[in-house]
Amino acid sequence: MKLTFWEITPITLFVIFIAPVALVLYSLTGEYSDNWTHLYEFVLTGYIINTVYLVTGVSILVSIIGVGTAWLITNYNFSGKNIFEWALILPLAVPPYILAYTFTGLFDTFGTANNLIRDVFDLGREFTFFPKVRNVPGAIIVFSFTLYPYVYLVSRMAFINQSRTMLEAGRTLGLNKFETFYKLGVPMIRPAIIGGLMLVIMETISDFGAVDHFAISTFTTGIFRTWYGMYDIETAKQLASLLLIFAVTLILIERYSRRNASYSNAMSLYKPLFLTKLKGIPNTLAFLICFTPIFIGFLLPVMELLYWALNYKLDFFNEKFITTAWNTFYLALIAAFLCSILAVIINFSIRYKSNNYLKVMSSFLTVGYAVPGLILAIGVMQMLTYFDQSLISEFSNFILTGSVMGLVLAYVIKSYALSSSTIEAGYQRINSRVDDVARTLKTSGWALLAQVHLPLLKTSFLTSMLLVVSEVIKELPATLILRPFNFDTLAVYTYIYAAEERMYDAAAPSIAIVMVGLIPIIILTRMIRTSRPASRD
Amino acid sequence: MNLISKLLTILVVIFVTIANSFASEVNLYTSRHYDSDDALYAKFTDATGIKVNVISGKGKALMERLASEGSSSPADIFITVDAGNLWKVHKDGMFQSINSSTINSIVPENLRGPNNEWVGIAKRSRVMYYNPVNVSAEEMEGLTYEDLSNPKWKGRIAIRSSGNMYNQSLVSSLIANNGISATEDWAHLFVGNFARKPEGNDRAQIMAVANGEADIAIANSYYIGLMLSGKKGEEQQAAARKVELHFPGQDGRGAHINVSGAGLMKNAPNADNAVKFIEFLLSEEAQSHIVNNTYEFPMLEGVASSDLIAQFGSGFKEDQTSVASYGEFNPDAVKLMDRVGWQ
Repeated sequence: MKLTFWEITPITLFVIFIAPVALVLYSLTGEYSDNWTHLYEFVLTGYIINTVYLVTGVSILVSIIGVGTAWLITNYNFSGKNIFEWALILPLAVPPYILAYTFTGLFDTFGTANNLIRDVFDLGREFTFFPKVRNVPGAIIVFSFTLYPYVYLVSRMAFINQSRTMLEAGRTLGLNKFETFYKLGVPMIRPAIIGGLMLVIMETISDFGAVDHFAISTFTTGIFRTWYGMYDIETAKQLASLLLIFAVTLILIERYSRRNASYSNAMSLYKPLFLTKLKGIPNTLAFLICFTPIFIGFLLPVMELLYWALNYKLDFFNEKFITTAWNTFYLALIAAFLCSILAVIINFSIRYKSNNYLKVMSSFLTVGYAVPGLILAIGVMQMLTYFDQSLISEFSNFILTGSVMGLVLAYVIKSYALSSSTIEAGYQRINSRVDDVARTLKTSGWALLAQVHLPLLKTSFLTSMLLVVSEVIKELPATLILRPFNFDTLAVYTYIYAAEERMYDAAAPSIAIVMVGLIPIIILTRMIRTSRPASRD
Repeated sequence: MNLISKLLTILVVIFVTIANSFASEVNLYTSRHYDSDDALYAKFTDATGIKVNVISGKGKALMERLASEGSSSPADIFITVDAGNLWKVHKDGMFQSINSSTINSIVPENLRGPNNEWVGIAKRSRVMYYNPVNVSAEEMEGLTYEDLSNPKWKGRIAIRSSGNMYNQSLVSSLIANNGISATEDWAHLFVGNFARKPEGNDRAQIMAVANGEADIAIANSYYIGLMLSGKKGEEQQAAARKVELHFPGQDGRGAHINVSGAGLMKNAPNADNAVKFIEFLLSEEAQSHIVNNTYEFPMLEGVASSDLIAQFGSGFKEDQTSVASYGEFNPDAVKLMDRVGWQ
């Protein structure tokens, strides 16, 4: 068999994308230190129990919030709907650890909220109104309200493109509104929901900042404790490999469970959406259901950050700050564009060549998300230094490690999974008969991609850009370890203060992260809204 | 490759080589990231014309980058706020000896590497804070870390989680002096005396004592200066005014000392500049800049601590335990804290 561009490109890219993960897994072939005995005897069980609680709680809450709001927005008209539609994505701009800091600032024994209640009701110092938040339930709330947009976005996209005919048939056959939702609407978009949920789960298990702040021992804090405290990075990598294996298992179970199901629409006839107008109590309820996640996940932390910034640090807006914001912005855009283009090319190759091996490989690219960012970043760094020392040094003096190019490469490797899952979902909605028609017309691969697929993939492409931009703007571990001299991004700026829990100083750059993240979110959601095939505008 | 691109490559190589040989610079990898350090680097550049390039990050992560880059690393100096990290980099053979009689005469032996591979730049102590409303000065008199296992302190002690490196260093120093099993017995009782599940940073512990949630807090010395300065807001300033600072072990070994320190990389491309930079950090100008901005204790004798911290007594007795031992015992300390359930 002669390999063409459509095989060589994806294979090469897969190798590069999977290499950092492979470097982590490689630790399993090495020696197992005595520290394993210690971990096993004293702490591992605790780590696992906390992690399982966390993942279960977050999965349930995120599904309810993400799918519920997406359904309401897609099918109903109610007060504030036009704002909620894009505002529901805003928490994406708030990293979980920032919400964690906000929560302790508000709800600790002598936090703002408890002090306020004491003042208003003239209660004694021993009275504490709000329950403690530095625990697993607190962490579940923090992760759910910052990560639900992943599920909201994919569900919304899937609901928008869902065939109305089937839902209408359901109604005719006697299903009520709620039954239509959970018996037809949700099962039909299950792959999309699961795709979003996978990302949420992996981000939750790999997070360090928020759980560390709450002093909850999870698998990931254990990894860092082993590395930082016991000076044992090999055991840390072996622990991280277990997270990888867990993620792979999840993906396999998911694939197996829908092995025979087909989810493409029976008819691709699109009808314009007719939204049901809600009045009275249903209207108020819908309003509250959409407002609460935005309030907790976005307004609350932003208000607290603004309060900190205004009270303690107003001199942040200077030349250095502008350079930093610019660095962040252009890196995020370049990485987002590269990721999305590569995802289109790879997913096109898989479809065009009907290559099942590539398809399976592609579904495993998300596993990198299950590894704590810094551990993965070290894998990326080792790969870059390998290039530097073995390949590039033969030809030139250019050093990839510590260059902006190296940084972009690291972002692309880290975020590619976000793009790929979005573009793949987009491709699932393009009827394969379109390709057959093109083939009978002897259209070339490139022409099919550029003239037929790309226009149909517009929504997915924009969503992919959006996800990667918000990811890169918040990205910290790879930036910290791979950046050039004297080079900051907003996330680094925030970290430098937040690491010392100097949240007042960290507030201004945190707000900037949110602001820079808002620009693409607002632009892209506007474009997504108008992208339904049958929409008029 | 055609002729033109070959020529271009040669030109670029020549240009880069020339540019490198003329540029006078020093490259830092640092896990210290205070705004005031930038001002300090600017002072060095003004005085010497040597440009300071900085990458800041987490200590352990920077150490991985150093290891991964190996001999091609551009780093000249590694700066960190924990002696354990310096010990580890030295143990992995990535430092070289610093040849400077100036530096050797300033830094005491227990605060540097065996062959001067790294030296302390500024000192901090891990001290106790107490609320005079709940604890009298007489009760605190001569109190050591070891004494805190006494049941009389049950439910009265605030300290942050064991994941924190300052706590790990403190326990390492106890292991270095008392051995593992004695330290484990102590830690077991000590953890039983906690006023609450460990939460928050060092300043949060001081706040807890000011609020009356606990009677004694263990936290680093410079935090009280930072809080009293008002840089952290009025609330923290007011809280700091309510507490007193106690240097532990004044009748015995002395108060636990840790350092911000700098090491010279083995493959430093600008080793001469690097030595000049470390000498500068130990100069009177830099030392008084550091003590007045970060409220650490000076390494150079004759430089006075900031008034905000000196008011609690400047001539306290320092523990002479070699700070390098913190690194050596750190893994034992972490496991010990796991065993006694110190969260």
